[in-house]
Amino acid sequence: MVSSPPLRLLAASGMLGYGFTEAAFENVLAGGIDVIGCDGGSMDPGPYYLGSGTPFVSRRAMKRDLALLLEAGVRGGIPVIIGSAGGGGGAPHVAYTRAMVDEIAAERGLAFDMAVIHSEQEQGRLRAAVRDGRVRPLGPIGELEEATIAGTTRVVAMMGVEPLQAALAGGAQVVVAGRCSDAAIYAAAPIARGYDPGLAWHLGKIIECAGQVVEPRTGQDCVVGTLAADHFLVEPGHPDKRCTRMRIAAHTLYENPSPYLLTEPGGTLDTRACTYEQVDPRRVRVSGSVFTPAPEYTVKLEGVSALGFRTVFVAGVRDPDLVAGIDDFVAACRERVAGEARALGVDPQSYTLTVRVYGRDAVMGAREPVREPLGHEIGIVADVIAPDEDTSRAIMAKARYALLHTDFPHRKCISGNLAIPFSPSDLPAGQAYRFSVWHVMALDDPLEPFPIEMVRVGR
Amino acid sequence: MSAAPERLGDLARVVRSKNAGALLFTLDVMFADEATYLRVRDSGALDASRIATLYGVSDNAVDVIPYDVAWAIKVTIPRPVPSGDPADSDVYGAQQHAPLLDIEIP
Repeated sequence: MVSSPPLRLLAASGMLGYGFTEAAFENVLAGGIDVIGCDGGSMDPGPYYLGSGTPFVSRRAMKRDLALLLEAGVRGGIPVIIGSAGGGGGAPHVAYTRAMVDEIAAERGLAFDMAVIHSEQEQGRLRAAVRDGRVRPLGPIGELEEATIAGTTRVVAMMGVEPLQAALAGGAQVVVAGRCSDAAIYAAAPIARGYDPGLAWHLGKIIECAGQVVEPRTGQDCVVGTLAADHFLVEPGHPDKRCTRMRIAAHTLYENPSPYLLTEPGGTLDTRACTYEQVDPRRVRVSGSVFTPAPEYTVKLEGVSALGFRTVFVAGVRDPDLVAGIDDFVAACRERVAGEARALGVDPQSYTLTVRVYGRDAVMGAREPVREPLGHEIGIVADVIAPDEDTSRAIMAKARYALLHTDFPHRKCISGNLAIPFSPSDLPAGQAYRFSVWHVMALDDPLEPFPIEMVRVGR
Repeated sequence: MSAAPERLGDLARVVRSKNAGALLFTLDVMFADEATYLRVRDSGALDASRIATLYGVSDNAVDVIPYDVAWAIKVTIPRPVPSGDPADSDVYGAQQHAPLLDIEIP
């Protein structure tokens, strides 16, 4: 337990590039702040962004947010921590963010020490971990096989507080971290200074989505967590917004399998004994959080494998006989495409053709409980994933032709079965990936898979 | 506290779904007042076997966690396929909640 003054931590936005108001940001700075943090990533947008090494926010939006944070942090001597830089936290994502920091520093005449923490994992390290029995599934997925590792495009490990603490201890004014626990961005500095880890982790967990815990919900905005020895306070950055007890209490539900026991690198945050109090119309006080260290230190591994090139096709059906017979029709088209593929020398096993019927069960698939007659129109979204772009386009062209012109019972619309909204009709969607690694890896040293590079910016 | 059966969708303030990682969906049902929360929590209508039947998954793959402090009930189920797999059609998992709306609460 420490007797230090309360530590004030700013979550600028739920995602670097999702924005925050300057009114909130200036209000927070005027009140004094000890750490400026912002999460930069997520796996929610799916495997593509990790695989392709690209961000899922726009460059313009990301640079706007980052420039404001760097300017305030560097001029005020306040540490700035960006977690899961560039979205996926892989090597290209970290490099992208680092280059943006350099660009902003040059434009604004800022000079500072920066720590760049890497989180992309070499296949050799992963193979060794598998052989040592240090890797196990995180949820319903198989054991990690060496063959799967060999097929991955990119794998990242999610760091805990320790690499961030090492970066700060090394004198970093700005930390650009690869894949990182969202809560660790905010828990790192307090834990290093001796604050209670349960409260620090819980504070991080509550504020990492920033504006999501604020009312009114008019978009992303700043949130401040103030950590004391035996509690923390959560308040919005914006003077006209507020945090409510229910929203703060409910936030540990969000995107977690349990609101009570939250797994973090190195242990579990336990909220079962927590109390949440509304101290005034804007602020909520939380106490009772407990962090239980795990018997072994584990980090999450996230990895993707390339599947091939995707081409997408969208169309609508208005003909009542075709709507009524859509299942048999799609099956017939699929057969026809397989035959056409063989004629082109393409093995039908080498591609996937997925046809989603909107208006029936495209959203929930086999889990859809509603099995009623379809409405007057339905939407078809088809996609082909094939080993290369040429094959993908060729198969989609055959699928488009089959869907447009294949016969069906009582067919009267013999000039075409579909309303195609776009020209071109077949839309290249780039490389497709899948999550092939979703595991945890046990470590002896929480720093080991996360090399820290100290660099001087702007001098 | 015996009331006529009502739809969960009419009783709850929030019924939402989202990924909890790439392999799970998590569904949150939240209430505006404690009495309604307790009525639903204690009705047994959201027990694991009901959810399992509704979503076509096995009983032991379903977690149902009442969360008293926020008047909420959390349900976690496996995804049919990982987020973004070729057969997936809800990468964020944000539209998997609708079957809950029609559950009748005694």
